Amino acid sequence: MALIIPIIFIIVFVFALVKKVNIYDGFTEGIKSAFKFTVSILPCLAAIFMMCAVFEVSGLADKLCRLLSPVFGLLGIPQELTKLVLIKPFSGSGSLAYLNEIIENYGADSYIARCACVCFGSSETVFYISAVYFAGVKVKKLAMPIICVLVATLITTIVACLICRVM
Amino acid sequence: MNAIFTIVFIASMIAIAITAPDKLLPSLLGGAEDAAKMALTLFCIYAVWMGLSSLAEKSGLSHGAAKALKPLTRRVFRTDDDEASENLAMNISCNLLGLGGAATPYAVKAIGALEKDKNDFAQKLLFVINATSIQILPTTVIALRASAGSLKAADIFLPSLICTVVSTACAVTLYLLGRKLWR
Repeated sequence: MALIIPIIFIIVFVFALVKKVNIYDGFTEGIKSAFKFTVSILPCLAAIFMMCAVFEVSGLADKLCRLLSPVFGLLGIPQELTKLVLIKPFSGSGSLAYLNEIIENYGADSYIARCACVCFGSSETVFYISAVYFAGVKVKKLAMPIICVLVATLITTIVACLICRVM
Repeated sequence: MNAIFTIVFIASMIAIAITAPDKLLPSLLGGAEDAAKMALTLFCIYAVWMGLSSLAEKSGLSHGAAKALKPLTRRVFRTDDDEASENLAMNISCNLLGLGGAATPYAVKAIGALEKDKNDFAQKLLFVINATSIQILPTTVIALRASAGSLKAADIFLPSLICTVVSTACAVTLYLLGRKLWR
């Protein structure tokens, strides 16, 4: 599997060489658009990260976790995972930190840690993606797709906790 | 987004004002700093992948890939636009290979191209697919487990694959249903 990335790079470079594309210019041009792109999403990133920071510092994130963990328990999601599941839609780096903590506390091969890994790997930072994807366009009514994704993520978490019991 | 942002922000600020008013400014600055760091990380990822993709574009390689996948993108996303289908095809390919960072710029380009036809069905569908993660190999998590001393770091591969499929299938079904019900 580790070979995939070198192979992709070699194929693209060799193909460009064969087609007589100016490789240096082409590559730099791509980076130029990467720079523009990063700058264009920076305002959204800053706003979302500030929201996550105040949400965490205010203690509301913890309160929400405590409030929801019995509900999650009923759905078969271990309490230890509540925080991870709740943080993931908002923050990739934040949830990665929790995942690390869970792996360290419970051991990499424990049920809790394996569950956490599967949940982490099969979900995305929904709010960040919606902010970045729709930054440059005027699409309205995003609530419905976002809710669909969040519900699907919750269903997947329940399924993940079930699967990890048997696999 | 606006509604969530406003509610979360105001509620958090009130809670901070009550419990620890001196922590508001540091937490906001910390958030902005995280965003700046994140932007730098993202720029590195995008620089590598968009540099490569610009080569693929110029040599006609991505055009070929898009052509091969065009029947699929036309069916699923209901678009005839060449630029949009090319970016859609590249986005899906990157996702399947587990190159999430490389997938994002393509998605944003595709959404921009779809804006011309006011094809918000495809724009939102693309978001739904990407926001439920469709990667085949969860490389980050496997690496993390291996470094924590797991004996079988890759044994979460199959559960992860099942969950990835379940989440995308659920979200797409819900989205299609929701679209029918709302209209």
